[in-house]
Amino acid sequence: MTSRHDGATVAHSRRMWVPVLVLVSVAIIGGVIGSSVLREANPVLVRADPNETYDPVRDGEPAPDGFRQLLARDQIAPVYEPIFTSASQVDWPPDMLVIGVSGTSESKAYPVTHLNQREMVLDYIDGEPILVSW
Amino acid sequence: MVHRRSIDGDPILLGNQGALWGNAMTWWDHDTGSLWSQPMGEAILGPLRGTKLTLMPSTLTTWEAWKSAHPGTVALDVHAWPTGFDLVDMTIVVDFGTETVAYSIPALRDVGVVNDVVAGIEIAVVIDPNHDERWAVFSRRLDDSTVVFTMSGAGLIDTVSGSVFDPFVGAGRDGPLANQNLDKLPAFTSFPDDVGTFFPDARIWQG
Repeated sequence: MTSRHDGATVAHSRRMWVPVLVLVSVAIIGGVIGSSVLREANPVLVRADPNETYDPVRDGEPAPDGFRQLLARDQIAPVYEPIFTSASQVDWPPDMLVIGVSGTSESKAYPVTHLNQREMVLDYIDGEPILVSW
Repeated sequence: MVHRRSIDGDPILLGNQGALWGNAMTWWDHDTGSLWSQPMGEAILGPLRGTKLTLMPSTLTTWEAWKSAHPGTVALDVHAWPTGFDLVDMTIVVDFGTETVAYSIPALRDVGVVNDVVAGIEIAVVIDPNHDERWAVFSRRLDDSTVVFTMSGAGLIDTVSGSVFDPFVGAGRDGPLANQNLDKLPAFTSFPDDVGTFFPDARIWQG
């Protein structure tokens, strides 16, 4: 870890408190008014500003062969807060492909056509944090 | 692909780096900014370089096939439309680090089950004979012994005990091991031409 990065981490930690309070408030309010959709009580993780977070290539580490930076970070926005509904509530074509994940307490389906657009879904299965990517 | 999004038990946030490496997507993590390769599930640059996320069991199948096997499933609340390619266009990749094997789906459909050993791990790669959009990879370790499977219309049959298992969810259906479940193992699908980019030494199973 470079000293430059250590500095960035410390600064980042100090900046975390205001977003934490905002996100906690949003989560509490959302939990009250969002009771009509399927939600889970998951820990709130703090999102960092990509421009203020260390970027190995931008900040001078040699890029590996064949590395091509085409867009800005999160220009294709990951689904950070997925919302689910029951299987009967969606009108998906029966032969459309989905990524399916099944845990001991729940099963979830993610349509490939949506993943083609958003590429990443940050989610939980059985309370364990997962990343679904395409 | 589905990865466990935690390091030593601590959840992490990952975002989209907006860059390709080996024609595959890369991620950044919100804590350290490290750069991650999706197919490898590994940080390739930055403070977490060399850290690997755990790949989880998941499947790629049709909505109908998934819903009928998992009636209680929830669905990502989005509009979706026909995919534009079929499962038969894909290959199933089992990567256990020291060995990687790619299984052709059309060839798997011909045999139903492949009993294999990948990186010393005894596995079965399975297509459901009654619903060929369904596939799974199971461990062949059961009750401290190794089993060999054959496929029949009734399901996946353990040739030692004669027990029958569901070929998609792995639940025991009949026979002395009917109360057992097969353990699912992580695998993912890829277009055949992309496998060699990240796994140049992959063994290609074609029947």
